[in-house]
Order: sequence, then structure tokens, then C-alpha cells
Amino acid sequence: MSVTTKDIEKKEAKLREGVERTRSRRVYVPSVDIIEREEDIVLVADMPGVDDKSLDIVLEKDTLTIDGHVEETIPEGHRLTVSEYGIGDYHRVFTLSDEIDKDRINATVKHGVLRLTLPKTAAVKTRRIPVRAEA
Amino acid sequence: MTLRELMPFTKKSVPVKRDRENPFDLVRHDMDTLFDDFFRGVEMEPFFGRHSERFTPKVDITESEKEIRVSAELPGINEKDIDITLNRDSLTIKGEKKEEKEDRGKDYYRMERSYGTFCRTIPVPVEIETDKVNAHYRKGILTIKIPKSAKALEEKKKITVKVE
Repeated sequence: MSVTTKDIEKKEAKLREGVERTRSRRVYVPSVDIIEREEDIVLVADMPGVDDKSLDIVLEKDTLTIDGHVEETIPEGHRLTVSEYGIGDYHRVFTLSDEIDKDRINATVKHGVLRLTLPKTAAVKTRRIPVRAEA
Repeated sequence: MTLRELMPFTKKSVPVKRDRENPFDLVRHDMDTLFDDFFRGVEMEPFFGRHSERFTPKVDITESEKEIRVSAELPGINEKDIDITLNRDSLTIKGEKKEEKEDRGKDYYRMERSYGTFCRTIPVPVEIETDKVNAHYRKGILTIKIPKSAKALEEKKKITVKVE
């Protein structure tokens, strides 16, 4: 029996080669659940510290990019004594298949959890091309 | 073999080079450490699942002159499921992160998030005003503000260094 282990620590995002960040902040990869339902695929991401205003979801062709910006939470006059979770932004990229109806993607965020609903398209039908006979 | 080695209850971990030339010594050393080696790295994982699927919130603590602020990452938890208790010298955060009902039993492609009950106790090193503690939950982060008591503030004194 194999034991499934899960890394519950926040992971720092890796940079693509040749890309530089413009802000000196840490960037994390949010943990994600992907669930398939009959008519859609649901993507749930844990992004504590993020709300609707600080989330940026961009769909470019087949690439879905999720960016979450987290405000600095250390108040004035305070100093950090224990730090277990790092404060930083979130970034994760997904590639969507043709199966998904890209116009009807829906995103909600509640209590720092992003929920993306990706509806499936009506089954891709084979189209028949009518042949006209020319005189 | 020295007399010291014959005594069974002496600590063997003195930083002295031991005589390993003797094959019987080697065997005995192996026997001594057999169980330690066997359980090292295992950490009972199959039974308790140390890292697997268990949700433990991560905590940041900041401190200023007047208060201590504890913040915990608790994404996707109902505020009713968070239970905070305060003792004289410790703060306990308990709760449960529930899997959403509509997702239960569905086909998971990926499951990176973790669920379950959690309990964390954080020691509070100074005297605090227990009735003035307030907590709020926003954007998946729980923040608890704990003001230090007047007595604790008084106790902290700065010592000036005099020049003679």
C-alpha cells in the first residue's frame, strides 16, 4: 500500500527561464483541486489573503493565468516574531483544452478560496460540408 | 575491552573513538542501534499520516509594544467553524476545514488542498488582557489581536548604562 503524501507547505513559484520579476516579493504556487463534473470542470484554489479586487485571471488563447496579490500584513510598529507562512503573491498557469467553453468561465472568491467553473462545450460535432454541384 | 565498556548503564555517546576493530563490538553496536535506525525517518507515517491530507494552519506572529497579533492562514473555512480559546498563557485555535458538499465523491483530477480538523496552541509569553482580545476573519486569514496588560507593559524596563 502506498502512502499518499501531500506537501502542505506553500511552494514558491519557479520562474520561467529568461523571465525576470519586476517586484521583489515572494511568489507562491497555490494548492489546487480540480474536479470534473458532468457539465463542467471546477478548479478550487487556496489563496489566503486574496479577495476579488486583488485577483487577476487572464485567459489568453489556451492559457489561463491566475495571479493573486496579497497586501503586506505586518502593521506599523510591529515586528515579526514567528513566521510560518511567507507573505507573497500567488501565480499559477493552466492550459485549457478545447473541451472548455471559454466564454462562459465563471470565477468566485470566498474566504481566500478561488473557485473557477469551466463549463464544457457541447460535444464537438463533426460538421458536414455540403457539396454543391456546379453546372 | 575496557572496564568502562562492561558497565551497562554508562552513556556510550562520549566523543571518544571507539574500538571498532573487534567484530563483536561492531555487531553489538548494530544491535544497539537497530531499533533507532529502523524507526528513524519512518516517524509512524503509515499510522498517523504526518503530512498526508492533514490540514495544519500556518501562523505568523507579530509583536509591538502594546499588543501581540497572531494571524493564521485558514482558507475556505466558515467563521462558525473556528473556535478560539484563550488561557492565561496560551491561545488555542481549533476548527475544521470541510470539503465542500457538492464536490464530495466527484472525480478529482488533482487534490492538492487538504481538509480536516486542526488544533494549534500558541504560547503567550506575557500577561495579557483576556477580555480585550478581538479576532476577525477576512480573505481567508484569521487575525487575533491580543493587547498586553498594563502590568506587562510596566514590567518592561529599559536599563540605562551609566558611564563612570
